[in-house]
Amino acid sequence: MGETPEVKKAKRPLPKSRVMLNALVDSIYQAAWDAEAKGEPVGWSTSIFPQELCATFDIPVLYPENNAAGVAARHDSPRFIATSEGELGYSNDICSYARLSIGMAHQMACDPNYEPPAVQRMPRPTFLLCATNSCFELLKWYECLSRELDIPIFMQDCLFNYGDAKPAKHWVAYGRSQIEHNIKRMEEFFGKKFDWDKFLEIQKISVENARLFDECVMMNDRNPSPLNGFDLFNYMAPMVVARGRRETTEVLLQLKREIQEHIDNGTTTFGSAPQKFRVDWEGIACWPNLGYNLKSMKKYGVNCVTNGYVGAWSLHYTPGSLDEMAEQYMLSSTNVVNTATMMGKRADVANHFQCDGMFCHINRSCKFMTYHMTCGREIVEEKCGIPVVFFDGDQADPTIFNEAQFETRLQSLVDVMETNKEAKQ
Amino acid sequence: MADVKSLLAQFEEISKNPQKLVKEYVEAGEKVIACFPIYTPQPLVTAAGMVPMGIWGGQCNPQLAGKYSPIFTCSLLRSCLEFGMTGVYKDVSAVVMPIICDTFRGMNSAWRAGVPDIRSITFIYPQNRKDPGARDFLIEELKAVREALEDISGNTVTNEKLQTAIRLYNRKNAAMRAFCRTANDHLDLVKPADRHHVMKAVTFLKPERAVEMVSELTAALNAEPVHRFAGKKVVLTGITCEPDDILGYFDQCGVAVVGDDLAQESRQYRTDYPSANSGMESLALHWFGVKGCSSAHDDNNTARGDMLAAMAKEAGADCVVLCMMRFCEIEEYDQPSVITQLEKAGLMSFSIDIDQSTSDSGQALTKIQAYAEN
Ligand code: SF4
Ligand code: SF4
Repeated sequence: MGETPEVKKAKRPLPKSRVMLNALVDSIYQAAWDAEAKGEPVGWSTSIFPQELCATFDIPVLYPENNAAGVAARHDSPRFIATSEGELGYSNDICSYARLSIGMAHQMACDPNYEPPAVQRMPRPTFLLCATNSCFELLKWYECLSRELDIPIFMQDCLFNYGDAKPAKHWVAYGRSQIEHNIKRMEEFFGKKFDWDKFLEIQKISVENARLFDECVMMNDRNPSPLNGFDLFNYMAPMVVARGRRETTEVLLQLKREIQEHIDNGTTTFGSAPQKFRVDWEGIACWPNLGYNLKSMKKYGVNCVTNGYVGAWSLHYTPGSLDEMAEQYMLSSTNVVNTATMMGKRADVANHFQCDGMFCHINRSCKFMTYHMTCGREIVEEKCGIPVVFFDGDQADPTIFNEAQFETRLQSLVDVMETNKEAKQ
Repeated sequence: MADVKSLLAQFEEISKNPQKLVKEYVEAGEKVIACFPIYTPQPLVTAAGMVPMGIWGGQCNPQLAGKYSPIFTCSLLRSCLEFGMTGVYKDVSAVVMPIICDTFRGMNSAWRAGVPDIRSITFIYPQNRKDPGARDFLIEELKAVREALEDISGNTVTNEKLQTAIRLYNRKNAAMRAFCRTANDHLDLVKPADRHHVMKAVTFLKPERAVEMVSELTAALNAEPVHRFAGKKVVLTGITCEPDDILGYFDQCGVAVVGDDLAQESRQYRTDYPSANSGMESLALHWFGVKGCSSAHDDNNTARGDMLAAMAKEAGADCVVLCMMRFCEIEEYDQPSVITQLEKAGLMSFSIDIDQSTSDSGQALTKIQAYAEN
């Protein structure tokens, strides 16, 4: 999981929120390079690790999933994936983010002629942060990074919530114990004391940002929608890499203003094409094919007004409560809860957004997210009475996606939505 | 005392007909609990007065499971789902499902959707095994499993009953390890497929019966003269090494299997339940003692490769065969590092594909031949 590349789109000038966002992301990468130059610690982290910890220590952290998404969107993933599958011997079955990132780490560590990606270059890390909420693969992937780079892992095991109830007491206790233990280990590793007052501040900012982000996402429930739903993929970036930063608050406030302006003026970033169908897109974007996906959907007047994936960073807890914080990290990712919970929620959202259909990315990389769709399809059909259509793809490996299949599936979704509309009228 | 051949035939019969056994158990008024791989707290099932049986899918081309299980997930769980959906497991009272990989996250959903009539007792092992809170977490998690089993059986699992069951399982582990050692002195009698049948049959047998039968076999083998095997020897690693055809290829090529780290086989018996203040604590501590397993995170990130190299050397093997269950990502992530560590130890290795949804294992034969002729 986890991402947000800077997606190249039409040539119209970027909105101010995007300019601010890009500057923020650049500054985060720069801070990591500055630390590296001084021989200070730099971390690589899974996308939903309690970022509050390193933010409190003021240690820069970068996010390989986010980075991989960007690299893939700029069509630069194949050379890293090739290193993983070729020289290193990894199976092409494993998550393409992992293949990309392990390949990159290896080139970084072993190839004197290593050529980094054109933008968002990551320095070599000195430690890893791994949370298991998005999937179990992340842990296996980070074990490989740890071997490749010979650096330690700080783990937050976030326990897949297989049942329907909220995490039980002993789950929360284990989560809290890990946060406390990680803080202790980090104090030793960084040689710094943990500042609990600063931690509280960062928690407050993080929670505020989560609230703002959710608000922005929800504002797209208007009809017509003020945003092209895919825009939201871009705004996940600060939620992944800078959830605890004031600058993120500024970006989100600006975004909120811009969305409100669209609503007030009756405009939309979807462009001039009519929004004939409101669709819930489920799954990660196909980063290498984003442009094609958008173009095809516009052609049919399909706006993917909502998607479950961008909500993965919606962590709400009472600042100061370690228990609540631990619990939230066991609930946030789409992949940390069971299908009944996840797809039940998505069906409610699809209803709220008045979606005409659901379009599901059967992502070759992400097994459990795919199970959500295959096992959750009936839940959505029953709760919403809308068609659910699948297409095959991958988030970072361009060899899986097939344009013709995508368009055929999209057409079949459009056909059913059209028939349903006619029947309603 | 029965001869080795007829004893091995009994194991083969059991390993190939678990359903017959289920029927016998159920007809005798017993309740059967199907235990998914890799580690299930089976002593709890025994202490609750029920019969734990391993569930390993089987060679089949799933027709119904595809509705819920993506085609790019392991065939082991796809065939388990297929069997669940087609009524093959209808006589079991429940399944116990440890969430050890992403496919199990999905199986938790797929089972609910596809096999709603067979209760799933799900639980999760903590991966942050060094965290001070992990032990207490796991004890509580196992208590929920205990409660569900008590509910199904109507029996209370006392500490005493559990400790007795744990001792029995440790005896079973010892019996299995003794068999594996002894079998290596009789590779003329215990062919790769025979060895596998013993290991697999034991996952279906009641523990006391397993100890009895395996001990009898070991004793029968000990009564035979030691055989000096002149051919090549390998150790197997992976989830399973099936079907029999593949094991037959080893034999055909004059290659013996002298050890394994298969989830279906020795991984089950390698780690004993340690002594502890209570049975529940002992069950939990078992997980923290698991080493070199793709499903259990280890800070020592070369542990598995190093362990396999040591195993191979001890058993006189010069090669480790990676039996790669297709689409099993936890094994796939380990694969390059295992190969590297083996190479560093001066050992050979090669990988073969394991896939329950196809009967074509020709590529395995080619690779085994190449190794044998090398
Ligand atoms: S398997 Fe899925 S959740 Fe896990 S890292 Fe890959 S894309 Fe993310
Ligand atoms: S560990 Fe591997 S073989 Fe077992 S269920 Fe998971 S993916 Fe399948």
